[in-house]
Parts: sequence; structure tokens; C-alpha cells
Amino acid sequence: MSEPSQPVNSRNLLDRISEATGRATAWLTLLMVLVTFVVVIMRYVFDAGLIWVQESVTWMHAVVFMVGAAYTLRHEEHVRVDIFYRAAGARRRAWVDAIGVVVFLLPLCAFLAVKSWDFVAVSWSMKEASRESGGLPYPLLPLLKTVLVIMPVMVSLQGLSLFANAVRTIRAPGGSD
Amino acid sequence: MEWVALLLFLSVIAVLLAGFPVAFTLGGTALIFAAAGVVTGTFNEALLSGLPNRLFGIMTNETLVAVPLFVFMGVTLERARIAEDLLDTLSALFGTLRGGLGISVTLVGMLLAASTGIVGATVVTMGLLSLPTMLKRGYSPGIAAGTICASGTLGQIIPPSIILVMLGDVMTSAYQQAQLEMGIYSPKTVSVGDLFAGALIPGLLLVVLYVAYIVVAAIAKPALMPAHERGPDERVGFGAVMGALVPPLVLIFAVLGSILMGLATPTEAAGVGGMGALLMAVLRKQLDLGRLTEIMQSTLRISSMVFLILIGASVFSLVFRGYGGDEGVRAVLEALPGGVIGAVVVVMLVMFLLGFVLDFIEITFVVVPIVGPVLLAMGLDPVWLGIMIAINLQTSFLTPPFGFALFYLRGVAPPEVPTSAIYRGVIPFVAIQVLALLLLAIVPELVTWLPGQVYGR
Repeated sequence: MSEPSQPVNSRNLLDRISEATGRATAWLTLLMVLVTFVVVIMRYVFDAGLIWVQESVTWMHAVVFMVGAAYTLRHEEHVRVDIFYRAAGARRRAWVDAIGVVVFLLPLCAFLAVKSWDFVAVSWSMKEASRESGGLPYPLLPLLKTVLVIMPVMVSLQGLSLFANAVRTIRAPGGSD
Repeated sequence: MEWVALLLFLSVIAVLLAGFPVAFTLGGTALIFAAAGVVTGTFNEALLSGLPNRLFGIMTNETLVAVPLFVFMGVTLERARIAEDLLDTLSALFGTLRGGLGISVTLVGMLLAASTGIVGATVVTMGLLSLPTMLKRGYSPGIAAGTICASGTLGQIIPPSIILVMLGDVMTSAYQQAQLEMGIYSPKTVSVGDLFAGALIPGLLLVVLYVAYIVVAAIAKPALMPAHERGPDERVGFGAVMGALVPPLVLIFAVLGSILMGLATPTEAAGVGGMGALLMAVLRKQLDLGRLTEIMQSTLRISSMVFLILIGASVFSLVFRGYGGDEGVRAVLEALPGGVIGAVVVVMLVMFLLGFVLDFIEITFVVVPIVGPVLLAMGLDPVWLGIMIAINLQTSFLTPPFGFALFYLRGVAPPEVPTSAIYRGVIPFVAIQVLALLLLAIVPELVTWLPGQVYGR
């Protein structure tokens, strides 16, 4: 809704990583719709249950919002409470972003990545597979869990880009508060 | 240590106002409180060790898979310009009546319920779409603004809205928790389908009340919304009307009907709906690779936004619980005079005020899990409570001077629409909302009857 404090056309390496992964991951949303549709047809028309295929929609969904999080940050679509932010000048918004990245985003991401690391490592080392029928086999289950580490790492990188842009705005001469 | 939990809650609200993205602010503030607690020995760090498992639970929550699928359907309908066509056709049909355009806007708001979960987005879309036409045709700015804000927020509570999917998921676990605490070990369940069914009659009731108000106002003060003289080039043929009306109606009734008749889960219905929307876009020659890419990327961004808030909210609620916030809230609510009625009134008032600051998603993921189990343990019906919360929040978004919807409409309204006109125009709709809330409080069957019929609860 509000004007982004970072230029969407900026082309640094971090932005490009987020952009490319986001665009690639977005195809999964279409695949989710198609697979769900096929599962429904198979179930109601051919009376065939495809539990594994049906479950795959959930896994794609998880990958979509986790791996797409950095891309979403780059496109300024993680909602803000913008009652005041919206009305603020570019420089003040840049301050909010710079402080927010350092105080909230980076610590939260670091915490999530560190906490999830063991959870994911254990899953890999015991070659974990789901015990439920239609659940994920090894190595897909650990792979899906690894997304828990990938998300905070990627969001941190995009956060650094947001920080760099914010600092540039703050330092730019002639900015207004 | 309940006061720390209260302090955490108040700090989060205060910090959110600075405007950093909600998901990171929620989680980040909670972490700072947890860290301070660990250092001073007042917070047990072990409480956070279950976090990865919880987050993985969010990733594999099958109910919530319906969210991106419904978003996909909504975005596709939006990009295929279905709303524009619907509004054009309906206003061509009804525009020659006094108030006809206002009624058309209300109906389009109702039909395009699913599009997004964000209050701002719907009001902005509706505002861009209908405000210029309404003003051009001589509608008073107040009544035009009021109609757009009310019908733009109405989509939130009319199924299949993604808000109801999220609220349904939160209510499911709140209900389980409440019953376990009451010592019921074979608990009854509540589903997203229950919430869809429960929302239908109250949603339609609101539509009827809006339309009734527009009709009465049009008769009492014709100058507010003049009838439109149809020009020779504005005639619409029967075929055009059917072409614009039938496909979206069929799609929405198929999606909703299959859920309500128990033929499909909300997730299945959403997938089929997404496919149907794609098909419609193809048939209308509105779909090429570029637009498909836009739809996919927009869907990804909206669902990532929603679920990152859920992740931030989980970190928050772990810490809030760790400081005994749950117990504190329970003690306060149970000590209120008037028993369950007092508790509901206070919770509704607090949510109404929070609605000035927080959007639907945040309140659903942050506040409902805290107060829901307590209220349900007092014997309230979960579907009734969910719908009351939804309509209450919609009312909050409409209430001057802080309502979200008003801000967003202000953003897209031309300068000749004074802010005071927006405020004045929306007040009758706020009154309608309050009336509806009172009605549902007095006659809860308006909510609970249909789910009982459909699912035999």
C-alpha cells in the first residue's frame, strides 16, 4: 500500500537472488491449483484416492510461503501498520527500516535459523521418513524441514539489502523527514 | 509475571505503529522480551525449544492450504477484470433506478468476497472501480464513500473469504483446548466449513440491510443518488448481461455449494475454484503468459505475507504464554461482572479498539488464540463467536476517525471528496453493523442454524 523505501528496480546481488527464487517458486502456486483439481477429479470421477499427490499440495504450499518470503520483502508486501509510516517522509521511513532490520528482523531470523538448525540436522542424520501413509519419504521430509533454515537466511540477506538502501536514503543530501 | 506479558502486548502495539513489517516486529519484540527474561531469570528458555516443531506444524497445516488456493482464485478473477464487467453490467441494469448504482456496488462487493484478505486492498479496488462513476453520476460523495467502504469490507465475512479460513483454523484449536480444560476428552470439533455456513446468513443479512438503507435514502432524498439517464450507446443486450453475470455466479455458487453440501473440503473447492477462474480468464481472452506470471507472483506474495505473520505471531504467543499472559487474561475475563456476557462484551470492545491498529490477520493470529479458549470454555458456540468477531472487526474498520477502510478510501478518493464527507457517509453503515451485532447476540440461531442443518452439529 505504501511507497517502498527501497527502489524495486535496484539490482544488487541480494535483490537478484530474492527475485529469481521468488519468480521460480511462484510457479508452484499454479501447480498447486492444477494438482488439487486433478486430485478432486480423480476422487469424484474415477473414485481413486491419491494421498501422496494430495499431500504434495501442502508441501508446495510450505515451500511457496517460506522460500518466497525474501522476495515478498523485496517487493514491500509484508504488511506494515502504516498509519504513521504512510504519512512520514522518505528519510523517516528509511530510519524505521534501518532500525527495524537491526533490532527485529536480523535477530528474529538468526534465532529461527539457529533454533531450527538442530531440528533439521537431526532429521537428516536419522534419515527421517514420515510414518503416516502418504507421508514424505526420506530424503524429502528432511529437505522440507530444511526450508525452516533457508527462509530466515534468505530473509536476512534481503533484510541487509533493505538496510543498505535505507542507509543510502538517510545519507542522501536534501532528503526530507 | 503477568505484568510482563501485558507490557509485551502493549509494547508490540506501540512498536508496530512505527511501521516496520508486522511479521518481524511481532516476533522480534517478543524475542527481546524473552532474552531479557532469560538474563534476569524470569523466563524459561526451554519454552522456546518447541518452536521449530511448531513452525513445521504451520508449514504442514492442511486447513490453511486453502488460503493460497483461494487467493489464486481471487487474484485471477481480479486480473481477468471480472469485477469491472460485473459492475458495468449491474449498473447498466440497475443504473436507471434511483440508488441503483449504489446497490450494484454493494452486490459486486458481496460477490468478490474471496479476492484478498487485506482490508485495504479490497477497499482500494472498489474505490478505484466505482467512486469515479458514482461521482460522475451525481451521487453525493458521502453516500458513495459509505457504500464503497461498507461493501469493500463486507467481502471479509462473506464466504469463501480467506479470513474465515484462518479464523476457522484458529477456532478449531481454541475449541479443542477449551474442551480439554473443561474435562471433555472426546471433544466436538469445529471446521472452516462450519464457519462458512455460519457466516452466510449474517453476511446476506448485512447485504439486505445495506440495500434497504440505500433504497430508503434514495426515496427520502433523491438528490443524494440521482437515477442515470441511459445513453443510446449504453444499452446492454441480454447476451452481454448473461455473459458477465453467469460465469462468476456459477463459479462462486459451485465453490460455496460444494463446501456447504459437504461434497468437498474448502481446500478442494478452492483448487477447483482456481481452475474455474483460470478457465474463465482464458475464455474471456484475458490470460496470457505475462498475466499468468503476475497472478502467480501476486499469489505468492500474499500468502507469504499471511504466513509470515502467523510465524511471527507464534513466536509472540510462546513468549506471551511463557510470562503467564494466558493465565492473566483468563483471570481477568473470569473476574468480570456479568459472567460470560461481561467477558464477551469486554473482548469485543478490546478487539474493536485493536481494529484501529491491527488488520484482520494479526488479530486472528495474535488475539483470538489468547481469548478464544477462555470464552469457549465459558460455554459459547465457536461458530457464533467467530462470526461475532468477524462482524465486530468489520465494524471497527469502518468507524471514523481511525477505521482502516476510511484511510484507504481517502488514499484513492479525489480531493473534491472531503474527509468529513467520508466520515458522515459511513456512519449509517456503522449503525447497520451495530444493529446486526445486536441481532446476532439476541438471536444466535441466525449464525448457528445453518451449520446445524448442513453438518448436523
